[in-house]
Amino acid sequence: MFLHYLDLSWRSFKRTPLVSFLMVLAIAIGIGVTMTSLSVYHMMSADPIPEKSSDLYTVQLQTMDEGRTWWTVDNMPLQLTYQDAVNLNQANAGGKRVTMVRTGFSVYLDSDKVKPFIGQARLTTPDFFDMFNLSFIYGGVWSAQQEADAAPVVVINKELNDKLFAGENPVGKMVYLDDASYEVIGVIDDWDITTKYYDLNNGAFNKTEQLFLPFSLMKARELENWGNTNGWKHEKTNTFNDKLNSEMVWLQFWVELKTPAEKQAYQDFLMAYMQEQRKLGRFNREKLTATLRDVNEWMQYNNVVSEDNEILVGLSFMFLAVCLANILGLLLAKFLRRAPEVGVRRALGASKRQIFFQHIVEVAMLGFLGGILGIILAQVGLLGVRQSYSYYQSLATMDLTMLLSAPVIAISTCVIAGLYPAWLVCKTNPAIYLKSQ
Amino acid sequence: MLTMNNISKVYQTDMVQTHALRDFNLQVEEGEFIAVTGPSGSGKTTFLNIAGMLEPFSEGQYMLDGIDVGKLNDNQRADLRNQKIGFIFQGFNLIPDLNLYENIEVPLRYRGIKAAERKRRIEQCLEQVGLASRAKHLPQQLSGGQQQRVAIARALAGEPRFLLADEPTGNLDSLMARQVMELLEQINRDGATIIMVTHDPELARRAPRNIQVVDGQLADFTLYQGTQNLKAAGV
Repeated sequence: MFLHYLDLSWRSFKRTPLVSFLMVLAIAIGIGVTMTSLSVYHMMSADPIPEKSSDLYTVQLQTMDEGRTWWTVDNMPLQLTYQDAVNLNQANAGGKRVTMVRTGFSVYLDSDKVKPFIGQARLTTPDFFDMFNLSFIYGGVWSAQQEADAAPVVVINKELNDKLFAGENPVGKMVYLDDASYEVIGVIDDWDITTKYYDLNNGAFNKTEQLFLPFSLMKARELENWGNTNGWKHEKTNTFNDKLNSEMVWLQFWVELKTPAEKQAYQDFLMAYMQEQRKLGRFNREKLTATLRDVNEWMQYNNVVSEDNEILVGLSFMFLAVCLANILGLLLAKFLRRAPEVGVRRALGASKRQIFFQHIVEVAMLGFLGGILGIILAQVGLLGVRQSYSYYQSLATMDLTMLLSAPVIAISTCVIAGLYPAWLVCKTNPAIYLKSQ
Repeated sequence: MLTMNNISKVYQTDMVQTHALRDFNLQVEEGEFIAVTGPSGSGKTTFLNIAGMLEPFSEGQYMLDGIDVGKLNDNQRADLRNQKIGFIFQGFNLIPDLNLYENIEVPLRYRGIKAAERKRRIEQCLEQVGLASRAKHLPQQLSGGQQQRVAIARALAGEPRFLLADEPTGNLDSLMARQVMELLEQINRDGATIIMVTHDPELARRAPRNIQVVDGQLADFTLYQGTQNLKAAGV
């Protein structure tokens, strides 16, 4: 019977092509606008590493003296000091651990094939690649010894490898970063994450870095931090070492904790660490606070998806509701015009339920067609967003979930809009129309 | 087969109560061919709609094949209507978008009959009404008489025990009306019970049993005929 209803729906569409097309267009515009904003919202709020997001924790320590305040909701600094980041990384606690900081270089080769350019880089410890599920196309990560020795080695991403070495295996080749040469030891595959969750300081939706180098190089070569550096008290920082020993926060630290027990143990370790540091004159607050937040909690804490985006999604759904209100009116007119035919069908044995479902299928078909057309309009909308703001390059796209959601939303909202007209037409008294037809 | 006891039908508006049928009693036996006559507004069509379960009645009892219709819900009435009753309307009431084959198929689909069986029945019914070669035509491509024959084929396809015809020849010229009447007589001879509302005295006379409805009640035939004669004489 469902196929028969579909056939009847298609005939009905062809019988009143203009009205039907107007309804499909209204649905499509509503869906197009809704899916454009919803897709951006979806990509912004999507779990960037769903397979282990609940195992990866970033650490916050309350380093400020009593009475000092930060702008976060819980008054906690967002990053760590150098000494804490290094201490936590070296301590024998927790699972895989990563200390890191953003930097950058002027990149060039010992040839004139590629013009020098500014490359974004990350100084990090070796667990970074395994912890964040990065895979290598060529070579691999530097060793613990190379980390300890501040070896001049670099891992580059696929995009940079394509640019510098035409995609060929570059392992063993040299690349110049600022005024020093570094040996390429690995190439990571494309790392397309919509949210740069591991460092939300300089644009949550910026691209991931092109170059990855041992963290120890920072101290050895006094490499600059290209991210945020924040302080809460006056400190003398005339030299690089002063900065390393200061209470300024500028490093990110992540730890992998796979069970609640591991998390609790690490939490206890952090408290013990702060107690220990207190003996050195740090962590002077009466109440010591250390916070562990997993990936999604961290994104929420940092308001990765702003309230504006949520309002925009809400407004787009309201626009869809307006479109559906128009469709409801058109459906009422269309269905009630068909009441005489419904009367005949009822006389010939159709139950109210069958008439109701016949019309609901017709509405669902209109919704489906509107959904498909809406996807096309949404693609146009997203293209416009991408072309207007490079910031949205990776966000203004529709993934498979959104592509499948569009017709589902279109059909379900249309069915809701069609409930009243379908109910109205199915409960019409057939006897009225049989004589007058 | 059909029994109506003290059936009443009241149409209620804010200001007025209209008694379309009052204390209507009728017994119809299997295989009868009954012509229902009466003046306009007397309640003939209301009676037919109630008999066909298209309208609920206000009071009384209606038994169809031993089933108390008043106790059925909408779905049960639709099922019963689909299985036991065929309708023929004055205005044919064919669905304009569907060709003849598909029009006849409508009640069979609602009954859930398989496609092969539907095809067999439709072809048989179209053959019976002499329109087998026009199966793919749309209703508007046929004359009024042909359309009514399609409507009859549609009513017959469900192999109903009951055929309710509301002025089936009302929109036809006399030749076509006669053809349709002959078809109905044939269907009755084949076993179907027919109740036909008509204004045409000639057609009514051809039915073995005549009943009159006056003011929503079955009228005494002699009294009614006498009144008509007086009216004709200008008294």
